[in-house]
Parts: sequence; C-alpha cells; structure tokens
Amino acid sequence: MSERITIKQIPLEELVITPGSACQGCGAALAARLAFKALGPNTIRHSIPACPDNVTRTPTSGGEFEAGGDHVTGTWRALKALGREDVQVVGFYGDGGVYDIGFQSISGAAIRNENVFIICKNNEAYMNTGGQVSGATPQLAMTTTTPVGPMSRGKPNSRKNTPMIFAMHGVPYVATASVAFPTDLIAKIQYGKGIKGFKFLDILSPCPTGWRFEPNKTIEVARLAVQTGFWPLYEIIDGRKFRLTYKPRELKPVAEYLKLQGRFRHLTEEEIKEIQRDITDYWERLLKLDEIGEILL
Amino acid sequence: MEHKNFEVMTGNKACAWGVKLSRVQVASIYPVTPQTTIGEYIAEFIAKGELNCELVNAEGELSTQAIVKAASRVGARTFVCTSGPGQLYMHHPMHGTSSGRLPVVMATVHRGNKGMQPDHTDLMSQLWTGWIQWYCENNQEVLDSVIMAYRTAEDKRVRLPIAIGYDGYILSYTSEPVEIPDQAMVDEFLPPYEPIPNILPDKWAEAQTRRGAGMMGDFMSGGADPQAAWRIHHEAILNSKGVIKEVNEEFGKRFGRKYGNGLVEEYRTDDAEAVIVAMGTIASTARVAIDRMRSEGKPVGLVKLKTFVPFPTEDFQELGKRTRAIGMIDRNVCLGLGGAGFGELRRALYDLEERPRILGFYAGLAGAEVRVRDIEKMAEKTLKAARGEKVEPIIEWAKLGGGE
Repeated sequence: MSERITIKQIPLEELVITPGSACQGCGAALAARLAFKALGPNTIRHSIPACPDNVTRTPTSGGEFEAGGDHVTGTWRALKALGREDVQVVGFYGDGGVYDIGFQSISGAAIRNENVFIICKNNEAYMNTGGQVSGATPQLAMTTTTPVGPMSRGKPNSRKNTPMIFAMHGVPYVATASVAFPTDLIAKIQYGKGIKGFKFLDILSPCPTGWRFEPNKTIEVARLAVQTGFWPLYEIIDGRKFRLTYKPRELKPVAEYLKLQGRFRHLTEEEIKEIQRDITDYWERLLKLDEIGEILL
Repeated sequence: MEHKNFEVMTGNKACAWGVKLSRVQVASIYPVTPQTTIGEYIAEFIAKGELNCELVNAEGELSTQAIVKAASRVGARTFVCTSGPGQLYMHHPMHGTSSGRLPVVMATVHRGNKGMQPDHTDLMSQLWTGWIQWYCENNQEVLDSVIMAYRTAEDKRVRLPIAIGYDGYILSYTSEPVEIPDQAMVDEFLPPYEPIPNILPDKWAEAQTRRGAGMMGDFMSGGADPQAAWRIHHEAILNSKGVIKEVNEEFGKRFGRKYGNGLVEEYRTDDAEAVIVAMGTIASTARVAIDRMRSEGKPVGLVKLKTFVPFPTEDFQELGKRTRAIGMIDRNVCLGLGGAGFGELRRALYDLEERPRILGFYAGLAGAEVRVRDIEKMAEKTLKAARGEKVEPIIEWAKLGGGE
C-alpha cells in the first residue's frame, strides 16, 4: 500500500511542457504535472488523442486512439527484448481512450500483466472534441451529446466503474486519485512505480470548459468530489487488498459538488436526492471493504 | 552450400522458420484461419528455447499491429501475421506503422473478403496504407522472403514496413520441401536493427533533432508544406525498388536462390509475342501452361509479379517495348473499378509510344481453382490480341474449370 508523504516530499523537478496546450484551470494538465514529477524522466510516455495532448518533455510515442494498451505493451516488450527494463512505460490517456474505445486493448495489457503504468486523466467526457458523453460521464450530467430538453435529462445511465473492472483483472495495483490531493496522488504513483506489472491510476481531473465552472475553482471542485464521496480515493492490490486512502468522518452533501458545475445545473431537488442515495450507498459499501481490508470476490 | 538442410513443411511453418532465422525479438499474434499456425510454430520455437523472442498473445489484429509498431519504434525487430478479415481489422494502425517509417514485417496469408477461400483482396484492400507488398509463389519463397524483407525494410534508404502475401491453404497448409538456410549465413546477411529515431530516454534529445526530417511522418504537425508527409512517404516507396533489387541479388549470391530481379521474374519472355502476368501460386500453374504452349510453337511468356508496391513500372515498360500484348491475371477486384494489376499495368504503359494491348482476366477469386488449361485459354486470347485479331471483351471473368 502507498505510504503517506508530505507536501515537502513532492519532487521539485518539472517534466511538463509549459505553457502547453491546456486551457486555464485544466485539471488534466495538473494531473500530468504531479504524476510525472513522481515518475521522473526515465520514462517513455504514450499518448493517444486526448485533452491536453502535448504535456510532458519525456520521450513520447503514440498513435491510434483505440490501441493505448497495445502501445505500452509493444514498448515494454521491446525494452525487455533489448535489455532496457530500467525504462518505465506510461500510458497517459483520457477517459475516452481508457473507458471506451481503448478499453479492449488496455484490458488485454492488464490480463497479460504487462509492466506498464496506465494513468487516466479522467475529465468525464470527450473534452478534446468539445465535450461529448463518454463511459466515464456521471449519470444525469449534461454533455453536448446528452443535452437537456423536454425529452432528455442528460446522460441516462451511470458511469462505468472502470477502476473496479481493472481490479477484477487481478492486476498488482489499481488506485483512484484527485488533483486536489497531490500527496495522495504522488504517493500512489511512487508506490506503483516500484511494482513490476500492470498499474492503473484513475485521476479525476476537473475540466472548467466541459463541466462549466470558473477556471479558478478547479481545486475546489476536485476536493468536493472527494469530500462528498462522489469520487472516493482508494487503492486495490492484486484485485483483493482494499484501502480507502481518504476517509472523512462524515461526507459533505453531494449538492455542494453538483451546484458548482453548469453540467448539473438542470437537476431537480429530487434528482439530487437520487444521486445522493446512490453515492451514500456506494460509500457505505466501500467503508465495509475498507473495514475488512479486502474485496471478497 | 554442400550440406543443404531440407525439410518438408507447410507455408506457415516456412514463414515461422523465416521469423526464427531472422532472430525476431517481438512478435504479436492472434488466431485467424488460415494464418493461425504461424503463431503456433513461433510459440513452439520459443517454448523449446530455439528462439529468443517476446511473444504477445494479443486481443485482436488491431492490437497485434499496434504492438509491433510500438516495439519497432523502440528498436526491436518485429513480426506480425494475419489473414482476410484480420487484415481488414488491422487497417488503422497499419497507416501508423508506415507513416512512422517502421520496418515491421507482416505475413498476410490470403483469405478473400467474401469467404474463407484465398484471393488477394485482403492485402490489396490495404494499397493505400503505404506498405511495400510482396506476393509469394511457393513455401521456399515464403521463407526466403521473410529474411529478405527484414534486410530491405531496415535498410536506411527504405525504412518501410513490408507485407508478404501468400495464398491461404494452397501454401499455408500444404507441405513441400523447403531448404532451411544456415543461421550463421542469415546472421551475416541480416545485421541487427537500429531504430531511427531512437526514443529511449537517454537518446531522445538527439532523436528530437531528427524530427521534421520526414522520418517520423509527423502528419499532425503541419509545417511549411502540409503535403510533405505524403510526398516523402510516396517517394520513399518508389525509391525502394533499387534496394529490393540489390537485396535480391545479394541473397542470390549468398544462398544460391533469387526471385527474378526482386520485383518481377520473367519466364520465356525474350521472344514472346504475348505475355501473361500472374501473382502468387497462379504463377506456378502459368509456367506449366507456357511450357505446354511453347512446345506447340506458340510464342508466349510469363511475368511473375512479386513486388506489387512499389509497382515495377520500368520493368513493364521495357517489356512493353518488345511484346505486343499482355494479359494480366488478377486474383483481386477493386469493386466498381477493376483488377488492381490491370489498372497498374495500363497506368505503367500508357506513356509508351507504341504500347502493347493489355487484357485483363479475373481468376482465382474466392479460391476458384485456376488450372493449366484455364491459363492456356487466357494466353491464347492474349496471343490473338498480339497478332492484331479482334478480341472481346478486353477484361473478362475467366471461365474456369476446363478440361484438365
């Protein structure tokens, strides 16, 4: 399990390209900045179409949107064949590339337990193309392809629980993180870095443009997602050992999180109550897992 | 050369032997008939400790291609194989492999697009992906072509992926004697592969200076000439003709076998009034037909077309000056347009001052059996055209199955 670190222990070296291609307040750019501080320069980063795309100074290779798991596989196997196992292979992909179109290839890499780190900069929609719905979009969120109108209340179904799906592949390490909890995020990367095999980190990366909030609110939104239980922080080892890495005594009402964002502006009090019920229910289940320290499957 | 090592083997085993002798470092496989046993043979070589190779059992052909693309970029020699529908599924990352100028070698064991049986429509449907395409006639050629393909693809003047096509079932699952070249001789012929540019972190800065030189095919970067990525790639394929010929010559010197000039192989064309052009296993049948007609005093010849991309335009132009009619046998059809070989041949010969007549025959599609007598009929028609007689239609679906 990851070990607690302090802000002072966050590496100073910057590996991101500035100004880069990100919007103001981009959560994904911040995710890159934090993640690659911990990963260090001896890394080959793979990129697939994602937002922002040009983020780090590390050697970068990439290609087809659907083949993220294959790019890291091929790179890792070649490094192994060439005797360069010192180099880390990282796929830094968006939620579309991980949850949807690239899911098959990443599942393949997971089941083969390739020695790669898949990091999902999860902004819960296809922000690169203007905010279309993805498998990571939460229920009832408004996107450009799940608009709100007399016949539609936003996304009709719930988001795919991708971290748990990857955990069920039995891979060495799966975790969730948030850009508002940098020490937790970095500790998880540092821990995963030390493990040989498939690692998956899902970082909730708020998108001011797509989620419709002011760019100076990114951290506040990201923090509330965790504090309300909307985005729980946890880690899973070998698909079995489970730990919540952030456990407030009491969750804040999810309405505080939803009301900051334009994509949820249409929600009725009743719909917010429904979301609250789902979140409380899921949080209670996670608390039980945390208590026994294990996923009993 | 005294102690030749022969073994009776299928085309797929010959292919796997080529992979083994080429010391491939990363191979990625996914089962699809009639290609599947290549991966099985490679897996056996590895399991027995005879080949040191990372074998990825991938989750689909799109993945197999993307995996070898990434591995090749890091600097490993890579192999991938497919057939029919798998070839179609692989289409997207094939563009990336060639745009990245990566010397991946792929075997396409032909299975047509309208059923299980072989024709060349699977690989022909990838003409726009920017790969070099070879077509093989027998199992020996399959093995030898794999070795020659790595040497060609990795040559600094080429740096392109090569697809080696051979007919499913007819070669893939049929055994015939194949000479297995000596490993030490292959090692001498085939030096280790060095990636350009190198993306290892300690070589990245140096590699960055090479970007924009066209090596990476940076199609997203734009730049002063947005067409440059296309132009450079196109010219690279055209320029590979010389290297293919060189490699074929040298292979011939070292191993005692070569395949025409590497692009085409001419048979009894010197004084031929009419010439038949065939690809893959049909070339073997055609050779028999030509011999038979020659014994009857009919001046016909054969051109076996091995390299379809780049198209051997110059060779055909030279041939076109001394023959009166050419009959192209296409085991493919670009629906609504016509046979790929016929179209290319006409494109190649249009500028000749005195061009021969060019006839087209669709034959062998969906595994249709092409017999010696069928080819004789095509050659007869071509000979008639050569002698100025009226022949119709110019392009026809060969009526197969006559009289053997």
